[in-house]
Amino acid sequence: MAEAKRPVVVLAGAGDHDLTKLAEYRSIGGYDALAKARAMEPSAVIDELNASNLRGRGGAFFATGKKASFIPADSPKATYLTVNADESEPGTFKDREIMLRVPHRLLEGCLITAHAIRSRHVFLYIRGEYLEEFETLRAALDEVRGAGLLSGVTVVLHRGAGAYICGEETGLLESLEGKRGQPRSKPPFPAIQGLYASPTLINNVETMATVAPIMAMGGTEYAKLGAPPDSTGTRLFCVSGNVVNAGNYELPMGMTIREVLFDIAGGVPDGRELKAVIPGGSSMPILTADQIDTPLTHDALRALDTFLGAAALIAIDDRCCMVQLGLRVAQFYMHESCGKCTPCREGTRWMVQILEKIEAGRAEQSELDLLLDVCDRILGHCLCPLGDAAAMPIASYVTKFRDEFQQHVDLGACPFAGSSTLDDLFAPVNQHSRHPTVEVPA
Amino acid sequence: MSAQPELVTVTVDGREVQVAKGTGLVETAMAAGIEIPVFCYEPRLGPAVGACRMCLCDVEGMPKPMAACTMTAQDGMVVRTALTSEKAANAQNATLEFLLVNHPLDCPVCDKGGECPLQDLTFRYGPGSTRMTFPKRTFDKPIPISPLIALDRERCILCYRCTRFSENVSEDGQLVAVNRGAQSMIATFGDEPYRGAFTGNVTEICPVGALTSTQYRFLARPWEIQNVPSVCGLCPVGCNVSVTLREGKVRRIQSRNHHDVDGGWLCDKGRYAYSHLYARDRITDPLSRAPRRGLREVSWDDAVEEAERLIRKAEGRIVTALSGSETVEQAYALAKLLRQGAGAHEAVLPEEVDESLDCFRLPLSAIAGADAVVITGHEPVVERAPIVDLWIRAARRNGATIVASPDGENLSRALRGKERVVVVGSGGSPRHTSALAHRLKLDTKDGGGAFHLPQTANGRGVAEAWSAASDEEPTTPEPIGLLIVSGDEAAANPDVRALAERSESVLAITMFQGLASGWADLVLPGTSYLERDGSYVNIEGRIQRVRRTSIPPAPDELAWIAKLGERFGVAISPYPAAVFAELSEKIFGGIAFGEIGERASLPPRPPRTHGVAAGPALEKIPEAKPRGPLHLVAYRALFSGPAVERVPELQFQRPPPEIELAPFDADNRRIRTGDAVVVSSNGTSVELRARVTRSLTPGVARVAQEHLPGFRQKVLVKKK
Repeated sequence: MAEAKRPVVVLAGAGDHDLTKLAEYRSIGGYDALAKARAMEPSAVIDELNASNLRGRGGAFFATGKKASFIPADSPKATYLTVNADESEPGTFKDREIMLRVPHRLLEGCLITAHAIRSRHVFLYIRGEYLEEFETLRAALDEVRGAGLLSGVTVVLHRGAGAYICGEETGLLESLEGKRGQPRSKPPFPAIQGLYASPTLINNVETMATVAPIMAMGGTEYAKLGAPPDSTGTRLFCVSGNVVNAGNYELPMGMTIREVLFDIAGGVPDGRELKAVIPGGSSMPILTADQIDTPLTHDALRALDTFLGAAALIAIDDRCCMVQLGLRVAQFYMHESCGKCTPCREGTRWMVQILEKIEAGRAEQSELDLLLDVCDRILGHCLCPLGDAAAMPIASYVTKFRDEFQQHVDLGACPFAGSSTLDDLFAPVNQHSRHPTVEVPA
Repeated sequence: MSAQPELVTVTVDGREVQVAKGTGLVETAMAAGIEIPVFCYEPRLGPAVGACRMCLCDVEGMPKPMAACTMTAQDGMVVRTALTSEKAANAQNATLEFLLVNHPLDCPVCDKGGECPLQDLTFRYGPGSTRMTFPKRTFDKPIPISPLIALDRERCILCYRCTRFSENVSEDGQLVAVNRGAQSMIATFGDEPYRGAFTGNVTEICPVGALTSTQYRFLARPWEIQNVPSVCGLCPVGCNVSVTLREGKVRRIQSRNHHDVDGGWLCDKGRYAYSHLYARDRITDPLSRAPRRGLREVSWDDAVEEAERLIRKAEGRIVTALSGSETVEQAYALAKLLRQGAGAHEAVLPEEVDESLDCFRLPLSAIAGADAVVITGHEPVVERAPIVDLWIRAARRNGATIVASPDGENLSRALRGKERVVVVGSGGSPRHTSALAHRLKLDTKDGGGAFHLPQTANGRGVAEAWSAASDEEPTTPEPIGLLIVSGDEAAANPDVRALAERSESVLAITMFQGLASGWADLVLPGTSYLERDGSYVNIEGRIQRVRRTSIPPAPDELAWIAKLGERFGVAISPYPAAVFAELSEKIFGGIAFGEIGERASLPPRPPRTHGVAAGPALEKIPEAKPRGPLHLVAYRALFSGPAVERVPELQFQRPPPEIELAPFDADNRRIRTGDAVVVSSNGTSVELRARVTRSLTPGVARVAQEHLPGFRQKVLVKKK
């Protein structure tokens, strides 16, 4: 697909303008959609979102308009809009790009959505490490406030304190309320009892940044983009790992993984072979190199038992030992498990212990199946999706690269003999050393 | 509530059961006779959290197993537990495997072993062996989170019951979870000792051996103990308790949930004070004063002889000081002996009683359902009747307005539109509480009522028993020929001590040497509520049975009162049941001893027999003057008294040497919380630390009685 024909929605105009400035954003029609929406009935705004078939960009792919319609229109309590900017999934870096480059489009989307659910309170929960993003957004918010665009809506920017689990919607609410960041049991769902036990809508940054363009172009027009009927519109694909040109690319949904990795991101560097691709962020089941002609749509990936998630494509080349990769991913989830529910708290630690043993070449044959069984016993048994997020990828590494795991057992050592590397894939474990670390006895 | 709840039909493992809509799924299954195993679920701790994942069940229409504790019954729901669903059985088995992965295998030395939910559920639903081959997670242990409670973090399964108790029930926020993931652990906030009136409850709700009582640690195994149902006799609430005995000795006290009285909670005094039974200065033989040699042990025959001599010598000029901790039977027997046998009608009763409060009678649990709770008087509720404090907290969580109105005035605005109003009198006289209840017409409203918090466990029962023994009017003897001091609280009471100064001789019935020496001519060994059979009347007017759990080291009071009765020609039975039968006709409407049962019911409200009493208003505190004397409220602290003083582990709970001041008075004296102040009255002075309490009325200074013994009502407070 040629560069010129590719539609750009979320980052539109950001190449030629400094859209962090209110004046420049307005010069390309910024905040017109807000005025248009505010002239409409709230329910008509939701109709427009429904027509666009916009799905949640945080990873769950739930219809945004439908979720907004769950907020009772006649709630005696205040209703809240909460925006999840706690982008923490390894492999994702799209929300930060939006906050840095089109903060006004995000704020406009928030104000439109607040109108749609009759809310006068917007909370943006920003990942604690995102300082520059926070400051950019704060400056933009000051401008919006100065220009009188808030119309009585309060927008609160809240910085998190560095816990992955606070990106889970109910964990985020707990943290926002000043409590320990641990997910809540659902039901009750946030739409009924969310923040401060009031109806609350929680949306991802990218979702919110898509709302204003939808209002501007009309929902039906947006629905023609991408791969209708389900995977409509564009997405910010975070391409990382062993590719020549890693970065964010706003692309219509429906392109194949091969197109994105090779035509757009320049392919695997140094002439190495592509070994596998993680399609949606570290918590998603992995795809092998022969599965990359799959279109990047929800349905096509579901058919391969994986998910588009937050559209974070991680390319993995042939230098990578899958056991080492699995260990690193498992370590991340063990470190980030909140400790509330049993399978995740205990299971993630156990997984790490087994993977360490396999990587060290000390594992027995039965422990490969034990690892799969531990994954299986975590899956679907946890309070929130974090446990699944740890178990799903590991189980997929073992099943799809069973031979490599088997070699570790047979050789009594890692077949890569020290040549394997996770460079460009994941940050090293000791990056977390400032946090209380989990000691796993050898 | 007249509206019938909507019934729904739920199928659990093929059994259809009808329950009210909204019933929790765990309870629904229970109604069908099916167990859904749980660890974290405990409805008394607030909303279910779904943390432990033990209750995973297969619910039709749901792709994943669901945590039953977080779900409610809906019509047509089809639920399959581990009994019939492989999915549920596998999920529960998985949860137990994960719980045990890092759980130490120290059951043989764990206090919980044998009565441990984790053990029981592992046997029923868990894997038979382990697949864990790695070193288990370790923590330092045990950590004494207070002198009363030891924490073993390795055994902890992080069900968060204890932190939820601390947050949602006692509302002290002292127990917290720290760190995250596999390193999560329970701790006290800021590593301070866990202090409070209700801390021991966490050892009882802990489903594993993580929180254990230091008093009970390593003392007994479940197969060598007996549990006796009884009632606590240390405060007027009368919490239902289960007393654990090993080899005839009391080793532990736990709650025995009476949902109308205590809701299954117990204060630390009720739970831990039992070891006073084994205090070093416990009196086990009668003591008689010999000239120049002080008290010496005498035989029971000699003691009864001596008691008879003292009583006869006084020729009716006898004053009896009662404690309010006697059983009804014991008080009646003593009254019958002295009043009918010796014509001695004068008594110092432990406290004032007002029967007119009966027409505002409610179960204590009704406080939790009130729209508004009015607290009168200046004393802290938790110090007088601790569990009532929990009921009031529950009321506030349920949306009730809590009105602190020490004088009971100016309530109309706060109570506007409130249907169910409950008055709790905490200080002042019960007549004041009754008068206020009359004024508010609380007997005419559903769910409305009033309580006056007594100071003693059975003050009312004792007063009624005393008056039931004779109709003769008492006359105050002067001088007093014999002062009979019944029980430890009376013996420790400074007013009673003052009477002794004017008495020719003193007969004391007490448990401890420390209370007997120096003033008594004859000492008869006392017993504790844990050593007696009989009945107590609590705050609500509920007649409850205490049971003899352990054999006292000496014959109990009733035994020798009966013996003395023979000498004075008064027929008194040594058996509580017989005494009760005689007494019940007179004051309890003829109810039989056996009918009280293990969980006593509340007698019905009597109809109001008199009109709206003009009744006295509560004592007005004179308008506070900037530097003038303050009105002293000296309250009897919960953690005080002869029993608490003899329990080493409870000493850290004793009230700190503090005086509470209202912000108005503190500001006028430039006093801040933590400042040293000098409190003086009648030429004596004491140094205390100040604490500024916002809820206190200006002009009032509040102190635990033990810090200002013998002070008068007006005190001067100055910054040191």
